[in-house]
Amino acid sequence: MEFSELISALCEGALLTLQVFIIALPCSLVLGVLITLAVRSRIAPLRWFFNAYIYVLRGTPLLLQMLFLFYGLYYIPYIGPSIAFSDRMTACCVAFILNYAAYFAEIFRGGLLAVDPGQYEAAKVLGLRKPQTFWYVVCPQMFRVALPSLGNETITLVKDTSLIFCLGLHELLQNATSLVNTYADFSPYIYCAVFYLILTTIPTILIRRLEKRFNFQ
Amino acid sequence: MNEQMQDTTMLRLEGVTKSFGKNQVLKGIDLTVHQGDVIAVIGSSGSGKSTMLRCMIDLEKVNGGSIYIMGSPLVENGVYVKNKDIHQLILRMGMVFQHFNLFPHLTVKKNLLLAPKLVEKREKDQAEQDAMYYLEKVGLADKADALPKELSGGQKQRVAIARALMMKPAILLFDEPTSALDPELTGEVLAIMRQLAQEKMTMVVVTHEMGFARGAANKVVFMNDGVILEEGTPQEVFGNPQHARTQEFLRSMDLE
Repeated sequence: MEFSELISALCEGALLTLQVFIIALPCSLVLGVLITLAVRSRIAPLRWFFNAYIYVLRGTPLLLQMLFLFYGLYYIPYIGPSIAFSDRMTACCVAFILNYAAYFAEIFRGGLLAVDPGQYEAAKVLGLRKPQTFWYVVCPQMFRVALPSLGNETITLVKDTSLIFCLGLHELLQNATSLVNTYADFSPYIYCAVFYLILTTIPTILIRRLEKRFNFQ
Repeated sequence: MNEQMQDTTMLRLEGVTKSFGKNQVLKGIDLTVHQGDVIAVIGSSGSGKSTMLRCMIDLEKVNGGSIYIMGSPLVENGVYVKNKDIHQLILRMGMVFQHFNLFPHLTVKKNLLLAPKLVEKREKDQAEQDAMYYLEKVGLADKADALPKELSGGQKQRVAIARALMMKPAILLFDEPTSALDPELTGEVLAIMRQLAQEKMTMVVVTHEMGFARGAANKVVFMNDGVILEEGTPQEVFGNPQHARTQEFLRSMDLE
């Protein structure tokens, strides 16, 4: 096996991994905050729905969710054919967003519980409206508490991208596996591990920086 | 005479009741606060002092009775006015908490600037000027860029007072402002409160500081078991308490 062949195959896979990561992370973070708010909403059906949502998405494997989204949606009576994904990559990204949003929602909920009730009271007597209180007072404090767990999940997200092989996408680990099988040589796995480490280093450093910046308590 | 009285009435409570579950903590409170009054509310813990104060600024909802703020009802016979109106009424008051409740993620100056910016859309230059004025007033201009965690308890409470003053309240409520402080730090907070009292700021102060109640208040209210048992000038309440319960409480405070 040529070294250049190895590197280009792994780079190609890493690009796909990166793509899923870059799309899924911000979307699932935003969706996670929204779900946290929904779970704490005064509207009971909204609470029930999103509690059930979190229960299902945390309680079943991501791999299964991906398979369901791509292959299963079609078989839903009446609406199935019109909502099924035609693109594998889209299905993967949606699966990641929905799944990680459930985890992020739980993390944010923990962060929210850690905010002192006195903060809401101080904001209220100063005349802040509820959305202003959430955005300017509660959110930064919730985020600080959530940061270490968010860091963990972010790194897991990078590694979980290897699951998209199940929809036939040639991501990093999948490409390494084909090289290993083709040349009966184990070394592509070693290089693959190095690639993953490089990819996870970026969020690790980013989270450290954020933790320093949010070190206000 | 009657008209004159009404003009200076800042806050009036009539027959206010409040229960937490089966536990009735306010059993019919009547209280009138006039402009420039400094009212010290004293009494043992559990007597309902803090709850009364929190009802005035809508941090607790009453079960019955009426509260009027500068003539406008907040709640009348247990029925609250519209949320929009409640918001306007709250803006006329400020509150200082036992545990300061500064925003930990914002610098001292930004703690002061947040509400003027969001609530009043006050001009930025004007707001900054105001912030420095009030920080100067509480003697903490040099801490403008510090985070709350870098301050002592006394300094935090002084910032909290400055933050409340930023909104130019007509009435300032204090909920045990020195109870969470080390004894040697209460002086700096009480000094600022005395200064505000001299400037004729209308204040209602729930406190265990008998020195402050005696020296800075023009009216002392003694609460016991959900009712105002006794009220009068400091001379009257401290010098010649009418009720056995008041005497007992004051004796216990003297012993401390």
